[in-house]
Amino acid sequence: MIVASLTLKNISKRFGKVSVLRGVDIHVEDGTFCVLLGPSGCGKSTLLNIIAGLTPQDTGNVLLDGEPVDHLAPRERDVAMVFQSYALYPHMTVARNLGFGLRMRGVDREEIAHKVRDVARLLGIEELLERKPRELSGGQRQRVAMGRALVRRPRLFLLDEPLSNLDARLRANVRLELKQIHQQLRGTVVYVTHDQVEAMTLGDQIVVLHEGNVRQQGTPETIYARPADRFVAAFLGTPEMNLYSGTIVIREGRALFEGKGFSLNLGDALMAHANEEIEMGVRPEDVRIHHAPGPGLQAEVEMVSNIGSEIYVHARIGRERITVIAPKDAPLKAGQAFSLTISPDALHLFHKGRRL
Amino acid sequence: MRHRGREGIEEVIIRILRIAGILFFFVVVAFPFYWMVVSSFKSLQELLLNPDNLGLDIRKLDFSSYGEVLFEHGFLQYIFNSVYVAILTVLLSLSLATLGGYAVTRLYFRGQGLMSLSILVIYMFPAIVLVIPLYVVFSWLGLRDSIHVLILVYLAQTLPVALYMLRSYFQNLPAEIEYAGLTDGCTRLGVIWRIVIPLSAPALASVALYTFMIAWNEFLFAFMFLDSPEKFTLSRGVVQLAGSVHLSKQLVMAASVLVTVPIVVLFLLFERHLVRGLTAGAMKG
Repeated sequence: MIVASLTLKNISKRFGKVSVLRGVDIHVEDGTFCVLLGPSGCGKSTLLNIIAGLTPQDTGNVLLDGEPVDHLAPRERDVAMVFQSYALYPHMTVARNLGFGLRMRGVDREEIAHKVRDVARLLGIEELLERKPRELSGGQRQRVAMGRALVRRPRLFLLDEPLSNLDARLRANVRLELKQIHQQLRGTVVYVTHDQVEAMTLGDQIVVLHEGNVRQQGTPETIYARPADRFVAAFLGTPEMNLYSGTIVIREGRALFEGKGFSLNLGDALMAHANEEIEMGVRPEDVRIHHAPGPGLQAEVEMVSNIGSEIYVHARIGRERITVIAPKDAPLKAGQAFSLTISPDALHLFHKGRRL
Repeated sequence: MRHRGREGIEEVIIRILRIAGILFFFVVVAFPFYWMVVSSFKSLQELLLNPDNLGLDIRKLDFSSYGEVLFEHGFLQYIFNSVYVAILTVLLSLSLATLGGYAVTRLYFRGQGLMSLSILVIYMFPAIVLVIPLYVVFSWLGLRDSIHVLILVYLAQTLPVALYMLRSYFQNLPAEIEYAGLTDGCTRLGVIWRIVIPLSAPALASVALYTFMIAWNEFLFAFMFLDSPEKFTLSRGVVQLAGSVHLSKQLVMAASVLVTVPIVVLFLLFERHLVRGLTAGAMKG
């Protein structure tokens, strides 16, 4: 299989007065599973259509293996796409749906039949080959849509929220399966989603898009551990990162974060930023709970929600709220006072939205 | 309870309206049709003796009128002409409307909005306004008395509506299916041929039927443009027959049956294809 790397240079696109993409630069190495992550309306589907050649960009270039493909029609780019709505050909059987792309490329009949059978086996839809799309369940249609892309072994796979129409249980299974298939076939994949769990579990590389800009690209670990800006910080993680605005003050030779009704030790590194207005973030799992009142921040439990695998404690510190993941063996009750500590290493600090 | 009372009244009104509608239809359409068919199977003598006899004696069915109309009054040729004109109009209208309707829905070009709008504006001109200028123009060009010019005129008449019907159908086809076709290796024309046309079968059937009916029934232009009897279409032929010196009612009736029945049969054949949508199953559902 020929697998291509993908480079996007300065892609922009407007629809009328709305600027959907504003100078997007992305590079995806060959064989990489790249997830475009962003809230709905951030331009990620448009970007996918531009890569496929279905929508022309206003500026910028799309390169496959370093070669510009902007002048090529979709069929000449040798990319395959899985659509959110699946977009199966309703008038063809599953087998014909799967083989359509090969037939259009002049592959001979026997080879098509052979490849279609292989893909059907891979996806477990062999017994559906003679059915029409309307006779399939949602999950089966989704498989056919994936199979239609897989069977062609294109240089690049484009997937537009392929799992969003499945129910939660099925989605988790197909997600795993997708990851397995990718590990087996090692194609280059660009996968669009707004679901951070999909992004974290599937991606070798995540590109966070917001309002037509790339906010950050990197491995899932980097993006989670060192979000480049406030948006990325808030967008990834469940429950959401706690974010507070405040000021850096120097007191007794130490840098402190001065929030609304509480202050927190920031360590030594930030002495140069004295008196700057910043935002401070901490992930719920990075907060340590101490039952006995003691050193650290004084907090009071407002509400406890148990989701089974974890317990979320919603508490009050100063005039702000904080969400903390609490250990299961030490239950807290509403109204209970406790103290919490946060290691300076676990803090995320943002100045004017950007990471300090 | 009051609510139910009102519904009761509504139901009665609807029932009355339904009966009135059926009666109206019967008087205006079904009875003349029946009268036409019955008269065409009677001999001239029978018609003259019992002009107000509505019944038909099955044992005395007289097919001679049909034979006479077909073979002595040239209706075999007229039928052939009408079929030729209608089928060619349908084929041309379908192909042009498919390409045009697709272009205004899916392709983006300068003047697209204006083009979309003008499609219907053309249809607003009544035929009678156009027939005189066209007559003059075609006379100048020496194109009068030609079946092919007639086809051209019928195209001009049917294309706006055909385009309009297909456009609104195409707008409801999911664009993603076409995108899938494009990435799977089709050209635009390939997408139209392999995806859009198969999915639009019901709309195409409707348009074909509509166009066929217009071309088959049209009289005004056929009357103005055709001079030689061997080029007459059926409707033109019937009028010629009705206006001839030795008018026999049963012959005109037989000719009228020949005009009407094919349309009715065609409609019944196509009818079940008209409504059903074909895109079921394409999408997430």
